[in-house]
Amino acid sequence: MSFFTKLSRLALLPVAGILMISEILTAQSVTLYTPYTKISVPPGQKIDYSIDVINHSGKRQNVDLLVTGIQKDWTWLLKSGSWNIRQIAILPGEKKKISLSVNVPFKVKKGNYRFNVVAKGFYSLPLNVVVSKQGTYKTEFTSNQANMEGRDNARFTFNAVLKNGTGVKQRYALRSLAPRGWEVVFKPNYKEATSVEIEPNNSVKMTIEIHPRHQVEAGTYKIPVLAETNTTSARLNLEIVITGSYRMELSTPTGLLSTHITAGDEKKVMLLLKNTGSAKLKDVKFSYAAPENWEVTFSPGKVEELDPGRSTEVLTTIKADKKAIAGDYVTKITAKAPEIYSQITYRFSVKTPMLMGWLGILIIVIALGSVYYLFQKYGRR
Amino acid sequence: MNDLAKQIPANKKPGLSGLFRSFLRPGEKKRKKTGTQHRNPFRVMVEKEISDQVRSLRFIILISIIALTTLGSLYTALTNIASAINPNDPAGSFLFLKLYTISDGTLPPYIVYVSFLGPLLGIGLGFDAINQEQSRGTLSRLLAQPIHRDFIINAKFVASLFVISVMFFALAFLVMGIGIISIGIPPTAEEFIRILIFILLSIIYVAFWLNLSIIFSVQFRQPATSALAGLAVWLFFVIFYPMIINLITKAIEPSSAMASAHQAINFDKFRLGLLRLAPNVLFSEATSTLLTPTVRSLGPLTMEQLQGTIPGPLPLGQSIFLIWPHLTALISATVACFVFAYVPFMRKEIRSR
Repeated sequence: MSFFTKLSRLALLPVAGILMISEILTAQSVTLYTPYTKISVPPGQKIDYSIDVINHSGKRQNVDLLVTGIQKDWTWLLKSGSWNIRQIAILPGEKKKISLSVNVPFKVKKGNYRFNVVAKGFYSLPLNVVVSKQGTYKTEFTSNQANMEGRDNARFTFNAVLKNGTGVKQRYALRSLAPRGWEVVFKPNYKEATSVEIEPNNSVKMTIEIHPRHQVEAGTYKIPVLAETNTTSARLNLEIVITGSYRMELSTPTGLLSTHITAGDEKKVMLLLKNTGSAKLKDVKFSYAAPENWEVTFSPGKVEELDPGRSTEVLTTIKADKKAIAGDYVTKITAKAPEIYSQITYRFSVKTPMLMGWLGILIIVIALGSVYYLFQKYGRR
Repeated sequence: MNDLAKQIPANKKPGLSGLFRSFLRPGEKKRKKTGTQHRNPFRVMVEKEISDQVRSLRFIILISIIALTTLGSLYTALTNIASAINPNDPAGSFLFLKLYTISDGTLPPYIVYVSFLGPLLGIGLGFDAINQEQSRGTLSRLLAQPIHRDFIINAKFVASLFVISVMFFALAFLVMGIGIISIGIPPTAEEFIRILIFILLSIIYVAFWLNLSIIFSVQFRQPATSALAGLAVWLFFVIFYPMIINLITKAIEPSSAMASAHQAINFDKFRLGLLRLAPNVLFSEATSTLLTPTVRSLGPLTMEQLQGTIPGPLPLGQSIFLIWPHLTALISATVACFVFAYVPFMRKEIRSR
């Protein structure tokens, strides 16, 4: 069809004189008109033209309508009222409105595209469509903030957008290529899901929650997340920077947190301070909340440095109050770094000193001795 | 005791020196003479005393009263033991001991009966120990036998103590046995030891009153007088002594608005010290500490001492330690009473009527 119009245009242009006028008169008896002859659209856009078909002649005209010169994968439709039309009849001097819709596909190159709307035997209306950018036929998975930083026990929440740029509805499977032990949860539309369905040229906002592996070392971790179907896929590279975490554990080498102590006496207790975090601990100081008049001293008084995974022993000397009553007392011992602290509750079973007991035994012995003396003095005469 | 003289072997002619030897060296005891077995005279005297005590109507009355009250207190304890189980009670593991200590208020618990009736038993067994023998004229006959003079008072004391011991062990084990049958939970080792120590403590306590009444029986010629004297001392300590202490301490009590905490504590210690001169106070404090392991202190406590404490039962050693002064005082008082009965008796002039 385009070949025919080009040929006719070439044939028409050099023709001159009356022949030409008569030709024009007959040819121009029906014309097509639209105001939007050059439109700039992005790929995937649907263009709706409104075209007037005008009959200038004095008699009724049957006009065959068709579109020529259009790209193969561009679809078009001529409609009037609610009908698809191929031919239209127009009364003399009247005009009729028809509509042309053209679908610009996604997969299209940037550039200028032409086609003609032809009223066969009467008129050819050239239309120009400028595709403003390179068209795509793919899925886009993007995040405006693909890098986050936090502690190893933090929960990272990324906001991402998954866009279906293909011409058809897609059901995407969502998965991640996270290292082992990392937990990645996709939440499209605020619900946990493993797949999401998206209409063509639509997008879905989702949050991606990532929990790092337990006790992960400090460093930068790349977490690729994928949205795939059997025809298309998109990849988003998320990046998590784990800063060192501070954790420590105060305990005793045996784990036993109770001991006996005699009132007024000293007792030495070994404590074990362990760095269970992933960062170096510095300046760990010790404090205590003991009963009144109890004294607790630590040796060394403070731990200057403790590497991750290492432990150190601290000798604690506890001096019980002289007036402490028999039974159980508790003392809280706290190890405190600027970032974190760890506390234990140590239980002391207080015993009372033996001195008074010996005194009592002495009194009883004296009393019994006096009886023995009396037996000797009086009884055996 | 009047026919005690007949029981002492008549064939025992060698006199004092031989008997003395046989007493100190039991190996010689079984020395055979004329084919009959020779018996230790002290032992004979104790056995005779015991049989006299056990057969006397007085003892039967006393033991029936105590046995009946024991059963009554056991009944109240058993009906209330279910409500004594409290999941948050730190002494919850000492359920069995509650058989001896709980009551719903209608009848006092076992320990109260012991502290109340124990002295009565001691006085009842001892008030006529010496003066009855004297008034019957048997004492001089007894002393005519080739035995030491102190055998008489020693045998009286040992026999009564033996009777008391058997009785208290029997009663406490009766409570334990019925308790095991009805609640189905046996006592733990620690509970058992606590109960044993409690029995020993009761025996010492009753021995104190026994010795006290023996003092009076040496001092007073009339058994009625010595019985009254013993009962008077008992009533004084149980009823009047706390009243007098209250009267005195009321008068010198520092006013609560003005006194410092230190003064208040010192005053309280002073008041408790006065109260503890009474043996019944010592006994009840000691028993309640023994049978209630959560008791941690018997005096006033400052906040400083209480800070940081957590409720929990004391180990047995510490409980005993807590009442060690009480035990010392009771044992010493018992021994002292014996001495004060012994010396006058040995110096007493005994004539035949």
